[in-house]
Amino acid sequence: MALVPSAIGAAAPPAPDVVESTLENGLRVLLLEDHRSPVVSIQIWYRVGSRNERPGATGLAHFLEHMMFKGTASHGKGEFSRLVEQNGGQDNAFTTQDETSYYVDVAADRAELVLGLEADRMRRLLLDPREIDSERQVVMEERRTRTEDDPDGLLAEEMNSVAFKAHPYRWPVIGWMEDIKRINPTELRAFYDTYYQPNNALLVVVGDVKAPDVMTRVRQLFGAIPRGPDPPPVTAIEPKQIDDRRVLVKKAGAQLPIVDLAWHVPNYESADAPALELLSTILSEGRASRLYRKLVYEQQLALGAGGDYPYFSRDPNLFTFYATPLPGKSAETLERALLTEIDLLKTDLVPEEEMERAKNQIEAAFVWQQDSVHSRASSLARFELAGSWRSQLDFVPRVRAVTAADLQRVVRTYFPTKRKNVAVLLPEEGSPPSSK
Amino acid sequence: MSGIRVRPTVVRRPRLLVIVALAVALAVPAGAAPLALREVLPNGMRLLVAPRPAIPIVVLRVYVRAGSTLDPPDAPGLANLTAELLTRGTAKRTAPEIDRAIEFVGGSLETDAGRDGTTVSLAILKKDIDLGLDLLADVLLTPTFPQDELQRKVGEIEGVLQRSEENPEVLAGRAMARLIYPGHPYAHPVTGTIESVRKLTRDQVVRFHHDHYRPDAALVAVVGDVTPDGIRQALLRRLGGWTPPTQAVPVIPEAPSAPPVTSETITRPDLTQATVLLGRPGIRQDHPDYFPLVVANYILGGGSASRLYTRVREEHGLAYAVYSYLSPGRYGAAYAVALQTRVDAVAEALRLVKEEMGRMAQAPVTDRELQLARSYLIGSFPLRLDTSRKVADMLVGIEEYRLGLDYPDRFASEIAKVSAADVQRVAARYMDPATFSSVTVGK
Repeated sequence: MALVPSAIGAAAPPAPDVVESTLENGLRVLLLEDHRSPVVSIQIWYRVGSRNERPGATGLAHFLEHMMFKGTASHGKGEFSRLVEQNGGQDNAFTTQDETSYYVDVAADRAELVLGLEADRMRRLLLDPREIDSERQVVMEERRTRTEDDPDGLLAEEMNSVAFKAHPYRWPVIGWMEDIKRINPTELRAFYDTYYQPNNALLVVVGDVKAPDVMTRVRQLFGAIPRGPDPPPVTAIEPKQIDDRRVLVKKAGAQLPIVDLAWHVPNYESADAPALELLSTILSEGRASRLYRKLVYEQQLALGAGGDYPYFSRDPNLFTFYATPLPGKSAETLERALLTEIDLLKTDLVPEEEMERAKNQIEAAFVWQQDSVHSRASSLARFELAGSWRSQLDFVPRVRAVTAADLQRVVRTYFPTKRKNVAVLLPEEGSPPSSK
Repeated sequence: MSGIRVRPTVVRRPRLLVIVALAVALAVPAGAAPLALREVLPNGMRLLVAPRPAIPIVVLRVYVRAGSTLDPPDAPGLANLTAELLTRGTAKRTAPEIDRAIEFVGGSLETDAGRDGTTVSLAILKKDIDLGLDLLADVLLTPTFPQDELQRKVGEIEGVLQRSEENPEVLAGRAMARLIYPGHPYAHPVTGTIESVRKLTRDQVVRFHHDHYRPDAALVAVVGDVTPDGIRQALLRRLGGWTPPTQAVPVIPEAPSAPPVTSETITRPDLTQATVLLGRPGIRQDHPDYFPLVVANYILGGGSASRLYTRVREEHGLAYAVYSYLSPGRYGAAYAVALQTRVDAVAEALRLVKEEMGRMAQAPVTDRELQLARSYLIGSFPLRLDTSRKVADMLVGIEEYRLGLDYPDRFASEIAKVSAADVQRVAARYMDPATFSSVTVGK
């Protein structure tokens, strides 16, 4: 097959006309006009996630995210979403280890209403104890869905609690069930007061709006909120791992094993981050990717396999390889096959065709991301939270500059034979046979 | 199938695995420029083109009416296996060659079988459109269905089916389809079962492709940086020679309108939560009750201001996920209510759900609720059209459900016309809890 090297347009996208500002109270604001559809994405990101919690009160950040929809002095419970829907908007929120994000996608002429609602709940949340108790039950249900009854969720939780000893990444974002049951209104209030401050937030607006008008309204609506105290830094540093760690979970109801392998890796701040990002694409993106081609297609060992690099993680995190064996294949065989692939990367340079394909995939993904105001806003936010939205501009060139020798060095450096973390889930004996 | 695993993230509201209520997705402003240009090509293939030139990308969907409704009674899963094998080898290229060619330019070429149809989706940068169309024509017209690829794929489908037993929502959905579509092809899963898939043969796949992949049962929707003339010529060059077989397009019966009301429990002592699905036959977009039911559904369980969400989640904390939805198909429709709650709360949660369902018919909805529903359904339309992929999906829906390209113009006015009395009337007809079959997974 003839493969014509593809020069995908210009190496870097032209700098978008982002209007940026930091208000006097510390609120960071990014605005970008995009007039292709009459819609706008309004996103507010707070720099708080499960990494800001403490043992015994895990899940606070996520619990608080739920409470953000339960009313302020001016808008009763449920009013936020009701107003958004009444104006044809769609809203949701999510919490990660590092941040809590709220977004509304809505007709562009309703931007002001949404900005007003976000300004209102930044500092004026009610946190009514009765509502806290009711929402506690909802969060517990959510944990049952995501973790207790989901083999993937359960194993990811076990992996983190083994791979991290000192850093807060060791506990799950949703929190331990006992903590969810116990967390009290005082703690929620203190957490809110500590982290929901303009100087700990990023507001991103992308869509069919006039940036100067939006900036004026943002200043009016958010400018009056006083700057809060700087949130305390997270000081935990994960000590260097000295040997392999392994955890086995037997889960009733699980049908097939799951194998996760993870190594500690640096984040976006490292010069090696583009190589790690490229590596995860080479391993996982598409059916020509390495792990699919080798483990799923050629060796017919796995139902699925991939490798994930958390580029944007605030603190160093885990590069995770994951795979599920086909029925009849064992977890051990698959674990060995994964390790063989990783070893191969240490000895053999990745061929040029694979390098080029992965780079083209990353570059194309950047072009596709521009098709939606929501994904444009999310991308600006992620880069900004990792230093500056401007680093989005040289992300593709930095990935393009990675050589096969760089990849080999990075794999040798970060994926040593010892110091890996292995989490394996096995169906418990006597699990119900699959119903037909 | 390299699943992308996202970083630990917890979302406030579940992403609903709901078969899109298409009508909601079909509104554009009255008097706006037409959503797309439509024409019928000489071989009977319908072409819809929506230029969107700002970004140099192209989304193309070929939808062929070759879904699981056409599975022979003794071969559930045949349509799906055929679709899955399209990209696994053609007269010109092996499966790995296809994968490498499309992925080398950062594009994707995927197939997806549904009940009514199979979609072949191409997503590619504009500069690589010729390569993309070559590959697309190749997999549509000259797949070779190699025996070793078939065996591979069958093994993979078996694994996927076995793994899906872990997912209570999937189990509940499959059981519900059996209950509300007895004797109809909608009753069996698109993927088939482990037993049925194992028995499928290459001859069956070849015949299915020959009989059902035909231009007079196909439509092509193109959205992105293209011109109607340019893409028509490019498609005619590659698909112009595609001709329909002589036999007529098969006729599929309508799904039964009044199946018996039954209930089923799937015992799973390992689960801490029970998943409950209530379902009954619904109506399609061409039914006069359709728009009132869209409004009624939104009020009952469509959003986070709905009665079910408010009562069951916000007031009683009994669920993370509780919602209702319409699921229209070409040969039938379903109306359903879904709920997940801890095992010891099922009775209480169900009591509240059924009370709310019944209350929809007992008294008119309030003006406030009606206004909210109308303004959400009408006002959120731009969000259904804000990416090239969404526009392409919508074009397929408009054409497949025979709604006509004027349907978007009608949507807002039809929704605006719905009164509280209409809502009450359709609630009495479609929301009476006594008419719903139920599936419970757990304990």
